[in-house]
Amino acid sequence: MHSIRTKILFWLLFASVALLPTLAEAKVRVVATLPTLASIVREVGGNEVEVTSLAYPTQDAHFVDARPHLVIQLNKADMLVINGSELEVGWLPVLLTGARNSRIQPGGQGYLDASTLVTLKEIPHGRVDRSQGDIHPGGNPHYLTDPRNGGKVAIGIAKKLGAIDPANRGDYLKRAKALEAHAVSLADRERKRFLAIPAVRRHVVTYHQSLLYFLDWLGLEEIGTIEPKPGIPPDPPHVARLLSHMRKVHTDAVLQEAYYSSRIGKLLAEKAGVPLVVLPGGADFEKGQSYQEYLETLTSKVYAAISESER
Amino acid sequence: MPSTRPVSPLRVLRLLALLALFTATALPALAQPAEAREQAAPSESDPDSEEAREIWEALQEPAAAQPPTATPPGHGMNPDISVILDVAAAGFSGTPDQRGGHDPSKNGFNLQQLELSIGSVVDPYWRFDGNLVFSQFGVEVEEAYATSTSLPANLQLRAGQFLTRFGRLNATHPHSWEFVDQPLVLGKFFGGEGNRGLGAELSWLSPLPWYLELIGSASEAQGASTARSFFGSDDLGVKSLADLQLTGAVKQFFPFGPDWSLAWGMSGAFGPNPTGRSNRSEIYGTDLYLKYRPLRDGDWTTVSLTSEAMSRRRQVPGGILTDEGLYTTLFWRFDQRWAVAARHEAVTGVADDTLDPEWTGLRQRTSANLTYWPTEFSRIRLQASADAPAWKAAPVYGVFLAFETVIGAHGPHHF
Repeated sequence: MHSIRTKILFWLLFASVALLPTLAEAKVRVVATLPTLASIVREVGGNEVEVTSLAYPTQDAHFVDARPHLVIQLNKADMLVINGSELEVGWLPVLLTGARNSRIQPGGQGYLDASTLVTLKEIPHGRVDRSQGDIHPGGNPHYLTDPRNGGKVAIGIAKKLGAIDPANRGDYLKRAKALEAHAVSLADRERKRFLAIPAVRRHVVTYHQSLLYFLDWLGLEEIGTIEPKPGIPPDPPHVARLLSHMRKVHTDAVLQEAYYSSRIGKLLAEKAGVPLVVLPGGADFEKGQSYQEYLETLTSKVYAAISESER
Repeated sequence: MPSTRPVSPLRVLRLLALLALFTATALPALAQPAEAREQAAPSESDPDSEEAREIWEALQEPAAAQPPTATPPGHGMNPDISVILDVAAAGFSGTPDQRGGHDPSKNGFNLQQLELSIGSVVDPYWRFDGNLVFSQFGVEVEEAYATSTSLPANLQLRAGQFLTRFGRLNATHPHSWEFVDQPLVLGKFFGGEGNRGLGAELSWLSPLPWYLELIGSASEAQGASTARSFFGSDDLGVKSLADLQLTGAVKQFFPFGPDWSLAWGMSGAFGPNPTGRSNRSEIYGTDLYLKYRPLRDGDWTTVSLTSEAMSRRRQVPGGILTDEGLYTTLFWRFDQRWAVAARHEAVTGVADDTLDPEWTGLRQRTSANLTYWPTEFSRIRLQASADAPAWKAAPVYGVFLAFETVIGAHGPHHF
């Protein structure tokens, strides 16, 4: 008799301990492929959402290893936000298949391809093949460096979260609209600040065509890329040609993301006598950086470099 | 030795019926968990919530498949199709004894393979992957299988013709290998094409906080170049479950921070061999993969260590044959375009082995190579090796210059 009561007590205790975490975890579990997307999700989702990022900001999103432990995050996720336009095509599909989670498969309830929420640039017309380098047939995928795109993505994320968790739909939308409003005002403010610099002082060289949206937003003109073609590492004749071009048309800065080798960037900047600006490859999500803070880091670094070269 | 209790055909049938019943009942239930949450939506947002609920309940019965809401741009409904060409020029100092079906195996130019891979989502429940390999003399269906994407309880089913997930290298294609040729132990124990067959596989991802996957599969036990330790070239038919190859594997993965990864697997394959009534073969293996890829800014450095060891026991008339084999690979990518690698292999042999009568002692082979990738879609690899079988007077040296191109949308690689 005594032993039965002990047994029942034990099982009750066991059940409560086992159930407690699930009760506390009524949060919507979201996985974002990129840290910048994760920062947006965190801001829109607030306390109702638990979000993780598959890639690190120090990582080139084209070349992330499909490490199996990422499958575990995807397995438990209620929602997946991807950048899309084939940016993650080299690693995400194998993780998704391994995840055994129908909610976040393409077409599933919790699957969101954020590239469908914005207007992509550089959609190739006519014939497309890899003689042009590693191009993206759907358009340039690096659209998150323009805050107006981030705003649109935030609204899309809020709608998706609202469909998954209708009880908090209003809160999600409210936060997304606030993020969008901030992003739009940041976009206007920074654009005005950059446009105040004469056009001839806004010439930059980039590494990859990954800053296209950023440059268009701020009225910066890309006069060349360190890569001869997307995904093709620089070769000496190309670098020599680029350097003479930089001197001819006047250049104000060399910009590149931190995940690219800075060897050639340093050389070019030194020879041309302009600053090299190394930009973060994404929001520092793990350290709590917000989307807006990330964009401000980008603009302040570039603005400082350009206004310095102006002097 | 394993139990050799014959399994009646009736039991096989019952098992197959159970499997069919399981899939049939599980399939409609798949979409459920995702919809459960969604059900609350119409009542909140719709004014005609009563009507909406009725519609929802009516739709609930057969669990209608949801149409895909977003297709990746540029894809449309076409499957991903890619073509991989592997050719090599080779030179050997003596008579070569390469064991891989796609190894360069003669002096001069070799067509290693022309691989056509096709992959696509089938519907909300399955995806399809196929690899057709063309040689100069014909076409083989290397792999063609469906993978479930939404079975409940973390289960996943694969059905069709597939490479078994025994060990680390077996389930992968030459395109993703660090060497031009297949390790000797895989060629000797499974065959030049690697261990594969028509069959079904069920795998389970454990809910533990680290990655632990359990895999079990049943596949055809014949095929001279795919299951040579089992029925091999003798097609003895399937009279009971004991006439199939059964494969089991445990895969675990441990990330140590963002830079270090460790994958560890244990595998076993069990099946009949044709040397006598109810004679069995069993192969055990363990594999280790340690990878260092620092996420430092602008760094392409990757260093990895792969090691796979296998042990085989075969019941033959008059006793048991036991042999072992292993290979260890060290790979170092020091630039976006350049890598070097070294590999050592050792495979033992036994007397009176009808499969490899000449392989009576230890065979060791050491290889090293240098790889250059113009882009991730083409690869040039120079490889040299020294092959020293104990039963030969002198080692055989070999040199390969291998070239690979990939066109089309090639699927991602497993870790």
